[in-house]
Amino acid sequence: MTIASAIAGIGATEFSKRSGRSELQLAAEAVFRALDDAGLPPSEVDGLVTYSQDANQEIAVARETGIGELSFFSRIPYGGGAACATVQQAAMAIATRQASTVVCYRAFNERSGRRFGQPDATIGGEPSSQGLEMSWHVPYGLMTPAAWVAMFARRYMHTYGAGSEDFGRVAVAMRKHAATNPAAWFYKRPITLEEHQASRWIVEPLHLLDCCQESDGAVALVITSLDRARDLRHSPALIAAATQGAGAGQMMMTSYYRDDMTGLPEMSVVGRKLWEMSGMSPSDIQTAILYDHFTPFVLPQLEELGFCPRGEAKDFIADGGIELDGPLPVNPHGGQLGEAYIHGMNGIAEAVRQIRGTAVNQIKNARNVLVTAGTGVPTSALILTTP
Amino acid sequence: MRTLSQGQIAVGTDLPELSIDLTPTMVISTALATMDFTPVHHDVAAARAQGSQDIFVNILTTMGLVERYVTDWTGPEVMITAINVKLGVPAYAGDRLVFTGTVTAESGGEYTVEVRGRVSLGDHAVGTVRFRPPGESA
Amino acid sequence: MTTVLTTPESVRELLAALAERQMAAGETPGAPAPDPVNLPMIRHWTAAMGDRNPVYTDEEFAARSVHGGIVAPPAMAQVWTMPGLGGERSPTPVDDVLAALDEHGFTGVVATNCEQTYHRYLRPGDRLVPATRMTGFAGPKRTALGEGYFVTWEVTWYASGEAVNSMVFRVLKFRPRERKSQPGIRKSYPLRPAVNRDTEFFWEGVRKGELRIQRCARCGELRHPPGPMCPRCRSADRTHVTASGVGTVYSYVVHHHPPVPGRETPFVVAVVELPEGVRIVGNVVDCRYEEVGIGMPVRVAYRRMDEDLILPMWVPRES
Ligand SMILES: [Zn+2]
Repeated sequence: MTIASAIAGIGATEFSKRSGRSELQLAAEAVFRALDDAGLPPSEVDGLVTYSQDANQEIAVARETGIGELSFFSRIPYGGGAACATVQQAAMAIATRQASTVVCYRAFNERSGRRFGQPDATIGGEPSSQGLEMSWHVPYGLMTPAAWVAMFARRYMHTYGAGSEDFGRVAVAMRKHAATNPAAWFYKRPITLEEHQASRWIVEPLHLLDCCQESDGAVALVITSLDRARDLRHSPALIAAATQGAGAGQMMMTSYYRDDMTGLPEMSVVGRKLWEMSGMSPSDIQTAILYDHFTPFVLPQLEELGFCPRGEAKDFIADGGIELDGPLPVNPHGGQLGEAYIHGMNGIAEAVRQIRGTAVNQIKNARNVLVTAGTGVPTSALILTTP
Repeated sequence: MRTLSQGQIAVGTDLPELSIDLTPTMVISTALATMDFTPVHHDVAAARAQGSQDIFVNILTTMGLVERYVTDWTGPEVMITAINVKLGVPAYAGDRLVFTGTVTAESGGEYTVEVRGRVSLGDHAVGTVRFRPPGESA
Repeated sequence: MTTVLTTPESVRELLAALAERQMAAGETPGAPAPDPVNLPMIRHWTAAMGDRNPVYTDEEFAARSVHGGIVAPPAMAQVWTMPGLGGERSPTPVDDVLAALDEHGFTGVVATNCEQTYHRYLRPGDRLVPATRMTGFAGPKRTALGEGYFVTWEVTWYASGEAVNSMVFRVLKFRPRERKSQPGIRKSYPLRPAVNRDTEFFWEGVRKGELRIQRCARCGELRHPPGPMCPRCRSADRTHVTASGVGTVYSYVVHHHPPVPGRETPFVVAVVELPEGVRIVGNVVDCRYEEVGIGMPVRVAYRRMDEDLILPMWVPRES
């Protein structure tokens, strides 16, 4: 990118089960906190990026926060796959001088308002390309994110000899990390593998504790040029690489018709691009924020990104590989299983804290942090680094 | 047990909220106590077969609960003279019925309370209860 | 249903004329209450309602109260003359009007208003006799539930000839929106596929008991799920083959939670691999969910979900 850019500010509301306020208010509060964190007034912002699923229009957020004129706004589709792509869009806008300071945000009442995990009989109803895609699955009752992921998980278990405990170890590690993070919903509430195994079935082979929580809350990020960021309140988190990816034969959560059902080809697409853009390799990464809406997809992410060979993620995890003192600490904040489900945006904020050296579970010498977005869907990823 | 007298009731006063958990026992026992044996009020399968999500409160019970809501507040010795209710969404077993009310008028010693009974689907019953406090000749 | 040819206008006139006649008929007495006002029924009622007002059940308190003795809760007015379990409802002038509305398709009914006036409190021993007259008929009106008529009647309760309570009651009789939802027919299955010109051949096949797989008319490529173009040769000319109807389970899930509309949990959904070389998703039925496994041989079976929709499903087969 011709003009290097960096994340200069992060802001969030509290993470709760019932925010008691509108999604627009949550968005505005997070934006204010991110701007205050950067030390920038709203008037400096000329670009806004969010998810196509976000209920808060850019112009509404601009009105509430006193951001004046906008010269750039865009939205990223495919649910949580949008997370890192919001930063990618901001960086591209800055590199091409479409904007100078861009705020990315995600705000929702996903627990007290519309819950993504609840069946919606209308999702297959429209003859749009997505409605038709859903129509091969929804009539059979295959219509919740947990069920869509479970179908991949079962095949992965069969192919690589993995068991429910291998998924459980991810949940246990995330809850352990969250237990020492005061911002996490599950602060001071770790779980054991036995509790994971005893938790009720949601969709076999997924137990309740394989599924991330449902949260109300918002996160915002301020992106500006690296030069500008150097003059602001915190040391900048340089965007070393940011990219999107869809695999061949991609579907929304139901890519069951590709040759293999055990991998995440879209994560391989973004992985290859990240290494190419940054000039790094997996060994250069000190900690990774991997999208963990459901535990089973953490395993193929480790494999697709090259942190371990295919089929060996279960051994890497069982050996403590993703824990705070392991070779690749994953989600030191507790992830979406432990901290909150803000559609992946809270993970980007954690990556910034790791780069700044201000995280509650700080990884020593965290110079390069990799972040991924929603899995099972067209996705995105990024690498932040110390400039 | 005290009953509010005329001097203790003012137009504009809000009644304390009353929240009633609509357990199956509540729905069924009230339906039978009002001599209403229609299956949709006590037989889940029958209720579902006619398109309802569950058994639901019958109208005679709605009237009784509206009356109870007001007399719980006034005390026992007022004279209820009329209850007018506009019926809304069904009150299903498993839901919660929450009453709110306000004294809205007084005329010739007779008071009018506007009552609203809400469930999760919306207004179940909205209407008025008229009463005379003791010591007032009609 | 009547077989006489009718127009909406003639229906309206016919109903209005009937309503006029019934309203002109005046008050029709019903059967006297089976029991006089009595303490046991009051006690059941107050206990069920959670009403602890002592004037209804506490003899001593009631004696010292303004009533000078036990009285019945005013809202019990209608209870005393309810027919009860297995009892006969007395005919009223409203019956013919409601029946005529049913006959003309206004089969839905919902009560909209209940207004009771209490002229005096009832005491144990009062024996009530109801009398009903029809007082209002309005419509047809468009409502949220559908087109319908409002029918209003008034019941007066007499004790020894004295009018003690009265009630105005109004219902909406409406024509239900879904014309197919006649009693006795299964409700429509809520999880419906979207169908367009690219996928219609598949669902048409299902209705005929054929499992159809899209085949490119130019290069012969088989494809499921289908689409408008052949990704291999760019041809939009497409045809289909009928699959043999056997397959093996490639992956599967057992759905326990949350509840899914139109489904009983737990249920099994599988990705089934067909010998023709494509995969398809469907339910595995006719076996316990614990018996399903990857590699299990299955064959297609067609299940009717409602009047319009049949889904292809999968049942165990001997390998
Ligand atoms: Zn072709």
